[in-house]
Amino acid sequence: MTRIALTSEFVRRDLRERFSGSFAGIFWAVFQPALQLGIYAFVFVKVFHAKVPGADSPGYLSFLAVALWPWNAFSDATLQATRTLQDNAALIGKVAVPRALLVFARVCASFFIQMLGFIVIVIVLSFWDAHIRLTTGLLPALLLYLPLFALTLGFSFAFAALQVFVRDLIQLLGQSLPLLMYCAPVFFDRSILPVSFQPWLSLNPFTFYAEGFRALVLGHGSITWMGVIAAVAVSLVALLAGLALFRRLDRHFEDFL
Amino acid sequence: MSRVLVRVECLGKSYPKAFRSSDRLRALWRLLFTQQAADSITVLDDVSLEVRRGESLGLIGANGAGKSTLLKLITGVLTPTTGTVAVHGELGALLELGAGFHPEHTGRENIVMSAALHGLTGAQLRAQLPRIIEFADIGRYIDEPVKHYSSGMVVRLGFAVVAVLKPDLLITDEVLAVGDEAFQKKCIAWMQEYLDDGGTLILVSHSMYHIQKLCRRACWLREGRVEMTGDVFDVTQAYLAFQERKTAVDAKTEHPHAHDVEFSVLDVRINGHEGEVPVAVDDGETVRVGVRLRSRDGRKPAIVVGIVRADGTPVYGVSSDMDGFEPTRTAEGIFDCELVFERHGLLPGSYSIRVHPMDPEGMRIFDTVDRTITVRGTSREFGMVRLPHRWSACVETTS
Repeated sequence: MTRIALTSEFVRRDLRERFSGSFAGIFWAVFQPALQLGIYAFVFVKVFHAKVPGADSPGYLSFLAVALWPWNAFSDATLQATRTLQDNAALIGKVAVPRALLVFARVCASFFIQMLGFIVIVIVLSFWDAHIRLTTGLLPALLLYLPLFALTLGFSFAFAALQVFVRDLIQLLGQSLPLLMYCAPVFFDRSILPVSFQPWLSLNPFTFYAEGFRALVLGHGSITWMGVIAAVAVSLVALLAGLALFRRLDRHFEDFL
Repeated sequence: MSRVLVRVECLGKSYPKAFRSSDRLRALWRLLFTQQAADSITVLDDVSLEVRRGESLGLIGANGAGKSTLLKLITGVLTPTTGTVAVHGELGALLELGAGFHPEHTGRENIVMSAALHGLTGAQLRAQLPRIIEFADIGRYIDEPVKHYSSGMVVRLGFAVVAVLKPDLLITDEVLAVGDEAFQKKCIAWMQEYLDDGGTLILVSHSMYHIQKLCRRACWLREGRVEMTGDVFDVTQAYLAFQERKTAVDAKTEHPHAHDVEFSVLDVRINGHEGEVPVAVDDGETVRVGVRLRSRDGRKPAIVVGIVRADGTPVYGVSSDMDGFEPTRTAEGIFDCELVFERHGLLPGSYSIRVHPMDPEGMRIFDTVDRTITVRGTSREFGMVRLPHRWSACVETTS
């Protein structure tokens, strides 16, 4: 009970910190994605004339948005969480806080913002793109955020712990996360790659989510139960491994902060 | 026997040496893949303590003695390198200024956070929030960001949270020093009430006044080890005496202990005790200073006996020739005498009794021998000596 109160307080605090000082506050969570999407619409659709291959395909904008927002959740949460312990060094040095809870709260805050953005974007786009299935697509798609959350949490625990010791990690992550994104079918469809490359894409943990969200929300491509089971398994392994690493190093954080 | 609230056993803490980033990487490697301890600096070594419910313990010691580290280990902020810490019961800690307050957030927001950290749920918090704000008594500042607070206000806020939540065990680290007079009084009054109600306190302070006022036991940490634990008066006196001696050492000019001088001190007995060990005397006890002198040419020397504070401040001095007394010759070139301070008026603390032989003319001082005495007692009078005094009902006016 007290844990829940504490977690919700941490989440609220993180949200407040992110939007503190800005006039629009929490509404940035909605404005920001809308603005971003406007830019993508201009660059990709107007300038590059990007199209999704195949007959009766969804518009490129919805094709991109549906995969990009889950990616944003993953990437934003991971980056934010990696800095958690450093950002809270003053608190950790003076009060005995459950440190894992701080990381957990950061990931929650990121997911809250990004999921809100996702919902808004999908609803807005549904006015233009008939491929978007709101009731039969959006709701199951939100369930897909569960394994993604677990996966992100696993990475976050590991990186947050390592960041305490290796301060370069955050720089490295800032560079390598976009690389991971370009190695997943976020901006493109798997089918445009040479056939010999296509299977390799499945090694990227995010490939499943990019294609899964598209299959559920847009009916583009397919999602299999095998894929879901594999993704859940990978997420759980990542979560347990990340947590194990965090626990192992937990007692030494204060010495190195 | 009341319940043990805090038990610290053989506690040790070492900080890793981590100045360069390569040190951090090496430390990470060791932590993950080996059992080998990293290169470290020991700040606390083999400390054992016990605090029972209702007890109040003062922690004293010089800067860097490990007091704050010990508190952090007890609160669980730090994990011990060796040994164990067990805390039974709810713990409230005020470590340093503004324990964990976020400078960007308002006072109110920080109170909510701190209460959540103390394990309060939403409903409990809503009930306590007005009381906390009232105790802090910082007016409209409560809705300002904490970064705009004065240090005194930050302390008020931190103390208010603890004061209203009333934890089983309160740990504070030198926070009383910051608040203004009025708030300090309020804090001390609150702490006294808290202790009377059976609260348990661990207090770190450099103010012996606060320690003596609030604590019944004290623990003196010196270079990461427990130098002394026990009754607050014994420990604080020993600590102060140590501090005074340390300052005196620098100032003291070393007298050459020449044996081939005209007159020298062979031995000084305080109440019959020989040797270098400090002699403890009770408040108001009689002190006998027995002196044996050697005279090279057999002339009868005079003797000067002085009492000085451990830091060298003179308290009283007298010589035998002033009083017209002469030491007795007991052997060839050996003279004895005894000086008696009947019911000495020294206040509790540590003193040196300094003995010098003087030539018979009372002109030159030769040797110097210091003996330490510790006056035990719990008197709360100020200064060094007790002057004869009496109180009377009305003001006597001179006509």
